[in-house]
Amino acid sequence: MSYFSDAQLEVMMADLESDRAERKQSFQGDSPQKVREAVCAFANDLAGHNAPGVVLIGVHDKGTPMPGFAVTDELLRSLADIKTDGNIVPPPTLLAEKRVLSDAEIAVITVWPCDTPPVRYKGRVHVRWGPRRGLATAQDERILNERRRHRDRPFDVQPIHDAELIELDRLRFEQEYLPALVARDVLEANERSYEQKLAATKMVLNDSEPVPTVLGFLVIGKSPADWLPGAYTQFLRLAGNDLTAPVSDEEAIHGTVADQIRRLEEKLAAHNQRGVRFSDVDTEDRREAYPLEALRQLVRNAFMHRSYEVTNTPVRVYWFDDCIEIHNPGGPFGSVTPENFGQPGITDYRNPNLAEALRALGYVQRFGAGIAIARKALGQRLRFEVQPGVVAAIIQGETS
Amino acid sequence: MTPRIAFFNNKGGVGKTSLVYHCAFMFAEQGQRVLAVDLDPQSNLSIMALDESRLEALWPDNDHPLTINGALAPLFEGTGDVRAAHIEPLSSRLGLLVGDLALSRIEDDLSIQWPRCLEGDTRAFRVTTAFWRIIEEAARRHQAGLVLVDVGPNLGAINRSALVASSHVVMPVAPDLFSLQGLKNLGPTLRKWRGTWASALPQAPNALGAMPQGEMSPVGYVLMQHAERLGRPTKAYAKWQKRLPITYRESVLDVDSGDLTGADDNQIQRIKHYRSLMPMAMEARKPMFSLRSADGAIGAHQANVQQCYDDFSALVTAIANRTGIKEVA
Repeated sequence: MSYFSDAQLEVMMADLESDRAERKQSFQGDSPQKVREAVCAFANDLAGHNAPGVVLIGVHDKGTPMPGFAVTDELLRSLADIKTDGNIVPPPTLLAEKRVLSDAEIAVITVWPCDTPPVRYKGRVHVRWGPRRGLATAQDERILNERRRHRDRPFDVQPIHDAELIELDRLRFEQEYLPALVARDVLEANERSYEQKLAATKMVLNDSEPVPTVLGFLVIGKSPADWLPGAYTQFLRLAGNDLTAPVSDEEAIHGTVADQIRRLEEKLAAHNQRGVRFSDVDTEDRREAYPLEALRQLVRNAFMHRSYEVTNTPVRVYWFDDCIEIHNPGGPFGSVTPENFGQPGITDYRNPNLAEALRALGYVQRFGAGIAIARKALGQRLRFEVQPGVVAAIIQGETS
Repeated sequence: MTPRIAFFNNKGGVGKTSLVYHCAFMFAEQGQRVLAVDLDPQSNLSIMALDESRLEALWPDNDHPLTINGALAPLFEGTGDVRAAHIEPLSSRLGLLVGDLALSRIEDDLSIQWPRCLEGDTRAFRVTTAFWRIIEEAARRHQAGLVLVDVGPNLGAINRSALVASSHVVMPVAPDLFSLQGLKNLGPTLRKWRGTWASALPQAPNALGAMPQGEMSPVGYVLMQHAERLGRPTKAYAKWQKRLPITYRESVLDVDSGDLTGADDNQIQRIKHYRSLMPMAMEARKPMFSLRSADGAIGAHQANVQQCYDDFSALVTAIANRTGIKEVA
């Protein structure tokens, strides 16, 4: 899916005044950081081009290709990494590819404008004004926030009309979420009002009309399930191998998504049996019935990718004697289909802004790695049942 | 030349290693490329920074080619000179020269060679400057803007060699009797080392090339873990805290304490005891100031995390100002 033709790119490469192209001689030194800032700025598209921007690597400042620059597979991989390493949130839409322009190899990153700006790189909103780059001012952020209203947004930033500002937990927003999401120096220089801060973090629609969004409820809502009926978690421990077995522990977990994840992980840790072998071996051997690391990834995945839209279904976790099942509402989304589900590199975001929040709160280290980590720890014990309306991760118990 | 800052106090347990660890990450956070060097034979810095499976890989049963010992081995086994050390990446800007418990084995050789430097012995200079040469080479390769060196709490030959390799010394101290005693020993020892090295330097064979100057300039002290109540130090600590500035001036700087009223400009920064953050940080293997709600730093902890961030940010800025580290744009 190349967006620009070679001829168009050659024009952009040579046009030193363009605010839609950025040139880098290589991808070394401080250039990885500068490129990320540029990607962030293009995704924000402050000027409102409604068209992609490009970063050209292997090009001299004066617009001509660097002699002898080679685009290696490794370089392309580290460029694609910009999308998933989680430093730019919500994850930008971009394409990294090798192109031959003016008879020279050049690495090109094409960045599409984000539907739900502002996009942050390490907690800072980078924007382009003309051929230069800089941090967004309060006014720039307002423009970006406004832009969100007029597009077909993902469900997670749509407003919940009828809800009022009082439904959001201000203390938690200011003490926990804001410092986690926004870089320290930006916060310190801040002259934004409470409503503006809520708008800039997508918790409300905009500052003149502070209606909480779905994201607002999921991240700092006082009682999210009152407004999003399915936004809670059902945990069941069954003393047997099917749903008719007697229930030995159950809990409906309410609260924000972070609360639900934390409480559910506590539950899982408590139910997870740890065996300690010491009598017949020389060093103590501890093992868990289910590797907690894998469970954690699968749980967090469930909350991040589930659908919060038109469903009253909670995330369901059933712990049977012989396996654990994690069911989450909403089938595969976007470029993920039942056929390619779980393959490396195939990810899409139903809730890109929730992904941003979970990254800020530290529940996600990088994007698109969860299933891979779980697979590595569990191997054949992990299997997915993917249906149009629900995805279930099924983890077999140890058979030995 | 890259500033090489050693964190040194011959009283252990003041939180020195954790200070180095946090400063390294904070410098990196501020955009510096940092090389952290673990020259403490107890290797606490490496243990703090790396998880167990990685340590197992770095410290196998036989040779340890990827630790600082691996770089030193040919020289001390008599088969050659030091080789380039492996730089373990801790973050995109922060690299670590991994420590080794076996480092203490070279202590003897180092202490034998030290006096021979005065006689202009080539191998003596090779051995004594081994750390410096490894650090310089690694710093260049890492494009480091500064080097932070963690050393053990004693006045032995390893530390002498580590300090000869350092351009600056930061002293973490706790407000107690032992830290004061430590400073009293430390000051004269540093001066003696500096003096000996200065008289040895002219003897260095030209063929060896550049030599460390052994500046060991005292940057100041960092007051660690003072127990505060209602924002004021408790009484027992207050007493020692009051004597610290005087002792520091007299024994480390060797100047008259004079009239000490008001703020002490040798105190770089106070670092609080962040209580429950430290165990959380150890568990999450990240600095205290980077803890997020998923690591357990929820609610009121976040305020503490922010405070910690501010303190360390101020600390590294002060260190940078005092040591002439270039600011990064």
